[in-house]
Amino acid sequence: MTKPFFVRELRSSMDALGDTLKSALAALVERGWVESGHTFYAQLCLEEALVNAITHGNQCNECLKVRIEMTEEGEYCLIRVYDQGAGFTPERVALPNLEQLNGRGVCLIRYCMDEVSYNHEENCLEMKMRRNTLCKGGARHE
Amino acid sequence: MSDARLVAFTERGVITIGTIQAGSVLDAVNVTQFGKEVLDFVNTHAGVNLLLDFHSVEYLSSAVLTELLRINQACKDAGGGLRLCALNSDISKVFEITNLDKMFVIYGAVDEAVMRYARSLAIQAEEQAWSHVRKDT
Repeated sequence: MTKPFFVRELRSSMDALGDTLKSALAALVERGWVESGHTFYAQLCLEEALVNAITHGNQCNECLKVRIEMTEEGEYCLIRVYDQGAGFTPERVALPNLEQLNGRGVCLIRYCMDEVSYNHEENCLEMKMRRNTLCKGGARHE
Repeated sequence: MSDARLVAFTERGVITIGTIQAGSVLDAVNVTQFGKEVLDFVNTHAGVNLLLDFHSVEYLSSAVLTELLRINQACKDAGGGLRLCALNSDISKVFEITNLDKMFVIYGAVDEAVMRYARSLAIQAEEQAWSHVRKDT
C-alpha cells in the first residue's frame, strides 16, 4: 500500500483545527494536487470533513482523536478522515430544508469531490479527487 | 476568541452595513466570534435593516451558513431584515450548491446593494400603507 504523503492527528476540538487545515492544504498545493490560488474547494472539503469528524463523529469529546491521511493513488488523491464515532452513509445525506441550521457540509463535499464514501471497517470518510479538477472556478459540474 | 473585531457596522440612511473584516477567511475556527458580534448588534438594535458586506471575504464554510441562518432569524425577530452583498464567485457557488441562494436576498457591490435594499424597504412600506387604506375603506 502506498505511504501517505500527509498524516496528522488532532484532538476533537475546534482549537486544534486551524493548524491542521493549513498544513493539509499546503501539502496538497506542494504535491501539485491543487493549484496555489485555487484552493477554495479543497479547503472547503477538508474543513467540512474534519469538522464533521470532530462534531458529529466524536461529539466534540476531546479525549477522542481525529486523523487525516492523504495518499497518492494513480490519478487520484485519496483523503481519509478517521474518527471514533458510529459512522454514517454520505450517499444518504440529503440537502436539508432551507431553514434547517446544519447538515450542508457533507452535501458540499459530495458536490466537489469525485468520489465520497464512509469506510465502516476503518471508521473513516474517504474522498477522492483528481489533480486540479476540484470544482475549479465552480465550472466542473456545470 | 480574537480581540480584533471581525465586523464593523456603519449606518447609511435606513440601512446598516456590516462590513466583514475577516482577513479574508470565515471558517469553523472564527465563526463563533463572527456570530456573536453580529447577533449582539442585532439584539441591541431593534428593527435593524442589516446588509452584510462580504467584499473582503475570500472563503467561507458551512459553519458560516449556519450562523447566517441564525442571524437572519434574529433580524426578523427584531422586526428588521438581513441582506447579503459582494460575494465572490466561489462563495456564491456555495450558496447555490446548498440552495441558500433561494433563502437569502443577495446583491452585487455594496453601493448598488444599499440602493436596492432601501428601495425594497420603501416599496414594502408603501404596500403596508395601502393595505391599511384598503382595510379602512
